[in-house]
Amino acid sequence: MYNYKETPQTTYNNKKEPRINQNNKAILLLILLTFLIICLGTSIGGANTSIKDILSIIVYKILAIPLSKGIDNNDVAIIWNLRLPRVLLAFIVGGSLSVSGAVVQSVLKNPLASPYTLGVSSGASLGIGLLIVSGFSIPFMGKLTMPIVGFLCGIVTIFAIVKFTSIVDKGMSNTTIILSGMVFSLFFNAILTTITALYSEDIKSIVLWQMGSFSMKGWSYVKIGIPFFIIGITGVIFYCKEMDILSFGEEQAKSVGVDTSRIKRNLLVFSAILTGSAVALSGTIGFVDLIVPHLVRRMFGAKHKIVIPICIIFGGCFMVITDLVARTIIVPSELPVGAITALIGAPFFAYIYFKKSK
Amino acid sequence: MLELKNVSCGYDKVDVVRDITFEARRGEILCIVGPNGCGKSTLLKAIGKLIEYSGNIVLDSINIENFNRKELAKNIALMTQTNNIYFPYTVYETVSLGRYAYLKGVLSSLSKDDRNIVIEAIKSVGLFELKDKQISELSGGQLQRVFLARAFAQNPEVILLDEPTNHLDLKCQVEILEYLSCWAKENNKIVIGVLHDLNLVNLFSEKIVMLSQGEIIGKGTPKEVFLEEDLETVYKINVKKFMLKALKKWE
Repeated sequence: MYNYKETPQTTYNNKKEPRINQNNKAILLLILLTFLIICLGTSIGGANTSIKDILSIIVYKILAIPLSKGIDNNDVAIIWNLRLPRVLLAFIVGGSLSVSGAVVQSVLKNPLASPYTLGVSSGASLGIGLLIVSGFSIPFMGKLTMPIVGFLCGIVTIFAIVKFTSIVDKGMSNTTIILSGMVFSLFFNAILTTITALYSEDIKSIVLWQMGSFSMKGWSYVKIGIPFFIIGITGVIFYCKEMDILSFGEEQAKSVGVDTSRIKRNLLVFSAILTGSAVALSGTIGFVDLIVPHLVRRMFGAKHKIVIPICIIFGGCFMVITDLVARTIIVPSELPVGAITALIGAPFFAYIYFKKSK
Repeated sequence: MLELKNVSCGYDKVDVVRDITFEARRGEILCIVGPNGCGKSTLLKAIGKLIEYSGNIVLDSINIENFNRKELAKNIALMTQTNNIYFPYTVYETVSLGRYAYLKGVLSSLSKDDRNIVIEAIKSVGLFELKDKQISELSGGQLQRVFLARAFAQNPEVILLDEPTNHLDLKCQVEILEYLSCWAKENNKIVIGVLHDLNLVNLFSEKIVMLSQGEIIGKGTPKEVFLEEDLETVYKINVKKFMLKALKKWE
């Protein structure tokens, strides 16, 4: 018999839950690191600029405080119009994809699921493919037509999948969601393949878009990305506790009081907003969404209250670094960032993940 | 008191259990027994409102249909059969999820009282030393106890247990059932368990509901239900003879 009655009434006085306490310092450090990486990403390139000069340019642009000596207008143009928006965009996309990955993994209770499982990328690719082939352009939107169409198609796909799942399976079980996602993805990919076969002269632009890139994307892209990023992340943060519980499966979540189908649907919508906007702005960059949440969980535990913020930081920084490598390793040409994420990411992931589990 | 009145339930519109009526009194352990596939777990899921059912399930004269998920979780906790764990939560974190229904506000964390309840629940299943260990590193029996602690942390009126003694060695099985029995008696609560081990059922339950092919074959005290002929019809084996034969081996 457990002597549960005799156990002294020790109170548990720590003000915060234990692991969260430990992690506060780590998060502060990580925020500093983020700042450093963003500065580094901005400073390195065809022409290197010192971090001091970059800060001076940013302050000059935002607060109109005069530039320090030795910075010419050319530097200002490169840093402010080209590199800074590029780095910020990479950060937003990396953060969005990672958070979205963490959400989908917990909601579907499947460590191998990713937002791409839900057909976002195939839907967006199909939309972009149709756009390129038809040469259509939304009036007044110019080059922003592509991200807008990509986003809409990605979102519509995920809604279609959720709707389809709820029709065939009222309880919205994970397996049904994953299988519907696969069915839709395969179907859309098949349509895209058919289209590219028929319009072979457009293959290159479709493939290039799919590989993902942050080049030649200025402030207009960042400005579009930020609202989606904020809406998506805020929405997700409200459901941290529910994601913890959903990681144990639907039955257990229900029995501790989670209204699973409503919360799953909401979380999938926020995840769709994050992935959809990321894919629309950069192309289909894989891998980040899958591995960053894993790394974060391994290093900081599985509590989503911690996992989500650190996913933003890790995912964002990782994307800034891979983009930096993609554009500097073979100057002056650029490699597709989607390839670099896996090239750097896979060995790094293997090292971190398997080192500890020995 | 928890009452089931003409409850039928199942999957995909096919009723697995039909027309079940029984009541579980406070301070008692009620066991649902029957051969594999007779609908024991399905019935348990209906009481936990995990699946849809027809008929009425009434707790202290409130129909559980009137509870929302959170209210239900404060009244009825369900410990299901352990499944795979993919994410590295600690024992403490896992048990603290049982307090979810009591949290107010979206971003609030556990209050001091909540944390004490969680710690007490962990102590009650004897896992205090392991509270910061990751659940993926625990043995099957320890994991089972973690989920039991989470059910206690919900501070419910009724605990539903699906094979709570799975993966446990004999000592643990007895300890868990003794603890549950004490918990029910001292706090005047209800325990409803699905158990396969008829010896444990015989020892620990005040009341038994025996199912066969989705219908009630017998209900009452162990003495009333465990009749030699009835057991043989349900289990297709002479249970009493077998038990006595097994017992003889120990002499």
